[in-house]
Amino acid sequence: MRLPRFFGKKRGHRRTGSQAWGSFGEAVFYAALVMAGVCFAGLWITGSLGVGSDEAGLPWARWWLWLSSLLIPGALLAFGIAGLVRIVRGWGKSEERRAAAEGLANLIESMATPADAGRRFPGVPTCEDLVNSPGTILRYRLPIESPESWTLVGLGLFAVLWNAVLMVLAVGAGIDLLGGRVEWLLLAVIVPFLAVGVAGVVVFVRRLFLTTAVGTTQLEISAHPLLPGNSYDVLLAQSGSGTFQSLALTLEVEETASFRQGTDTRTERVIVWRELVKEWTHLQITPGVRFETHVTITIPDGAMHSFASEHNAVRWRVVVAGQPDRWPAFTRVFPLVVFPAAGPLHSGALPLAATGGVRR
Amino acid sequence: MTAYEGANGTARPAMPRVGMQFDRADRVYPPEHCLVGRYEVEGVQHESVRALERSVLWYTEGKGEEDLSVHHFERLDHEPLRAGDFPSGTITVRLPASPLSYEGVIVKIRWCVRIRLFFASGRDFVSEHVFDLGDIAPAPGTVERLT
Repeated sequence: MRLPRFFGKKRGHRRTGSQAWGSFGEAVFYAALVMAGVCFAGLWITGSLGVGSDEAGLPWARWWLWLSSLLIPGALLAFGIAGLVRIVRGWGKSEERRAAAEGLANLIESMATPADAGRRFPGVPTCEDLVNSPGTILRYRLPIESPESWTLVGLGLFAVLWNAVLMVLAVGAGIDLLGGRVEWLLLAVIVPFLAVGVAGVVVFVRRLFLTTAVGTTQLEISAHPLLPGNSYDVLLAQSGSGTFQSLALTLEVEETASFRQGTDTRTERVIVWRELVKEWTHLQITPGVRFETHVTITIPDGAMHSFASEHNAVRWRVVVAGQPDRWPAFTRVFPLVVFPAAGPLHSGALPLAATGGVRR
Repeated sequence: MTAYEGANGTARPAMPRVGMQFDRADRVYPPEHCLVGRYEVEGVQHESVRALERSVLWYTEGKGEEDLSVHHFERLDHEPLRAGDFPSGTITVRLPASPLSYEGVIVKIRWCVRIRLFFASGRDFVSEHVFDLGDIAPAPGTVERLT
């Protein structure tokens, strides 16, 4: 019996570490956790940690301290044992065998959930969240996935948290002042904190005003999920006021890939196909009367379906991009789910690149 | 693993060969159809093979971390092992409806049949045979990189 090689070839020219040595390293790490947990537990049982008796000599009087002291050895033992069990269960098993075992567990889990449409299409995301809102004119109202909304939430959170810290510092300084003491260092810290806090609130209010001033965008669709080769009626409704230099509705396919770079997890997103469905220019929107229009979107025959796995995804989406006269440009994203086409192979299927609306 | 005498007189392990013949010459299968593949293992002494695993799976390639999902898995490790059990065989699988094979820009989906041999020495050898599920057109290229 030979020792496993430290380096092994994975695919192509990439050379990766040996899986056996990797598992061995992990096992050593988890064994160390278990040992540390056992040591802590031993110290706790023998009373070497000084837990269990108070100064008055009453045993276990500080029950909360006794209970909390269990957390450290308990957590170490739980993490260590769970890790060791996982390694022992996977030891000597091929990548496929481990994945098959995981797949079986996922299958049992999915069978426990009611009517999962995605079960017939493994790797295709379900569209339950996209069909639970009925439209006013068409069948479904699509949920919005606006990057601007997340920016607004982020700015709001920053303003609240920063000013909460500022309040704590200000109360401390105020108490000192009332007591007749002046903490110059604390005051010197508060001044720049106050400036940043005020700026945070101003930026948040400005962004909130701009977001609400442009008006809401609503999209409804005649059917969902979508299928390649089919066309769907879409209702676009834009509220607001004033003139829009342009308002465009595009259909896009986005690829997303997450990967580790050092200790960071990064995500790269690329638009691989885009079709301009329709663009309106010099659009005048009257306050209280929203702009409504019907368009037709077509999923090209032979197009890739929606796909989602742990680190990779292919997503379809409708994007509404507007350029109001008085306000900054905005982009609003409405996700779609495209299922694989049923039936035989798409012989002579049109490559996406051959369709008319592709812009590179 | 079996060994043979190298040119310089040293014993070097022989490289097994796994031949795979699909029932479709173009290796393109419609979703939810049957795949039949006949494999043949050469270059190993049959008694040195401890077990054989045959699986049909998809995995991702590209910029992101690899995701893998096994659609069909079989392990042949009869005891006692008969020499004639493993050198050739047929794998018959009804393929799923998705995910379809895809050649994207940063995401690619590949379907394959994997034959993995486990030797008495503790080593293993894997052979991968790619096929297409569906005939999705490749992505035309990068339109825009998002931040």
